[in-house]
Amino acid sequence: MKQQQFVALHAEEWDALRFWLAQLDRQPQVAMRSERALDFPASYRRVCHHLALAQARGYSREVITQLQQIVQMGHRQLYRPPAPRWHKVAIFLLSDFPRLVREQWRCMLAATILLYVPAIVTYVLLQWRPELAHSLFSATQLSTFEKMYDPANVNLGRSSGTDLQMFGHYVMNNVSIAFRTFASGLLFGVGAVYVLTANGVIIGGVAGHLNAIGYGAPFWRFVVGHSGFELTAMVIAGGAGLQFGLSLLAPGRLRRETALREAAWRGAQLALGAFAMLLVAAFIEAYWSSISALPNIVKYGSGAAIWLLVLFWLVRGGRESDHAA
Amino acid sequence: MLDTMREIETPEGVSLRLRAAGAFGRAQAWLLDFLLRALFFLVAMSICSAFGRGGAGLAALLLFALTWVYSVVCEVWFGGQTIGKRAVGLRVVCADGTPVTLIPSVVRNLLRVVDALPVLYGVGLVCTMIDPSARRIGDIVAGTLVIHADDLPAGSKVPIVPSQRLPVPLDPDEQAALIEFAERAAQLTLERQEELAHILEPLTRREGTAAVTQIAAYANGLLGRP
Repeated sequence: MKQQQFVALHAEEWDALRFWLAQLDRQPQVAMRSERALDFPASYRRVCHHLALAQARGYSREVITQLQQIVQMGHRQLYRPPAPRWHKVAIFLLSDFPRLVREQWRCMLAATILLYVPAIVTYVLLQWRPELAHSLFSATQLSTFEKMYDPANVNLGRSSGTDLQMFGHYVMNNVSIAFRTFASGLLFGVGAVYVLTANGVIIGGVAGHLNAIGYGAPFWRFVVGHSGFELTAMVIAGGAGLQFGLSLLAPGRLRRETALREAAWRGAQLALGAFAMLLVAAFIEAYWSSISALPNIVKYGSGAAIWLLVLFWLVRGGRESDHAA
Repeated sequence: MLDTMREIETPEGVSLRLRAAGAFGRAQAWLLDFLLRALFFLVAMSICSAFGRGGAGLAALLLFALTWVYSVVCEVWFGGQTIGKRAVGLRVVCADGTPVTLIPSVVRNLLRVVDALPVLYGVGLVCTMIDPSARRIGDIVAGTLVIHADDLPAGSKVPIVPSQRLPVPLDPDEQAALIEFAERAAQLTLERQEELAHILEPLTRREGTAAVTQIAAYANGLLGRP
């Protein structure tokens, strides 16, 4: 068939499809309601066929480029991802995320050790020789900590600031740290190891110093509520970074690129889960942990309940129930 | 042809051509985004400060959203384009040419942390220069690609001269070479144009400037111009 005949025969369909696709970009709802929406997949495949024919028959570049553009627009629409649904978020948080954490238990265990061992060592060391606190923190930092957890303070855990201010501050700080921990895992896991250990030392140092100078009670009353979510989220972000770096060091039977891509996929999901946990932690930290008027039993009771909830969620979430047929 | 072109075969058995965007265009888009976000944040800050201390919390939340959430939301729900990318005409797609989805977008944006090392996207810049499709580390790991969104209609820059039919039929590749020569001849010196046109002496049967004009005439013919 001559090119002119070919173009004359099909130009109408090409123009119609191009018009509809352009409309879909501008007014998606109107375009989806129109009659052509039903015909789109079939029409798109016909145009793909036309393109293949035009290429095989060596028609001019003008025709081929025109068809290629239509195919490109169509490809983008036909293979676009499904619209996000809210119930998918719930499924992810309730079952997929805990499952993923359990699947990566080795890295999670390593991250737990990397965070808690330095913390405990620093804490014990500061009980034994309290003056070491001065080599960990500067004098201004120490006085800030002391001011924050002064037993005479009305609000626990902060020197000034309202609930909302602290909520924004915690979200920005903690989530950024978690995201950086995961991403810096790409440097063969070194970044994640560093962030975890450094945070362990700081947490242990603050706790040890405050306990040593007798401000222990307000400190523990403050942190017990949100620590369940916050520390666990840090461990998960760290574990995500570790498995990311590990995929580069020991890709196993996969090519490095493939291993890295799969690890990134898992790591991003873990980071998103940690993000959700840190949002909850920041909320608790800003609006619940700072109330100092509550009796100890409520403070420590709620803290223990939150810890149990987090552990139960991560251990049992998404597991097939034992009675399932 | 061009080395930044990626050919991707669709399930329908035809190939799509994606033009990978280089470091310069991407830096432009990033800079635009950065300035826009900085401006937005400054304006929002001045409004937030009216709410006193609580406003500082709102500002921190906003800073978080602008730093981490903005790019992901733009890429996933607004056709793979942040405002800066839209202005420069770039688009983020998956390596197979389909629109980018949530997890790859999260990966590529979180890994900005690594690409931005040591200063001002140094690692990213080096990586875009080494990689054939100008991907930074985040793109390689996420399996995404930044492409030019608007395809130039090929041949639109060919100077218009009265067209002539080719004396012999040519392959599609050869046709493309003719058209691309006609398109870009203006960027070359006259001597270089003539030197290149001289290679086609058996086809044009002309010498010097006349050969260049003759090729432009053939290119017009190939583009279906009168």
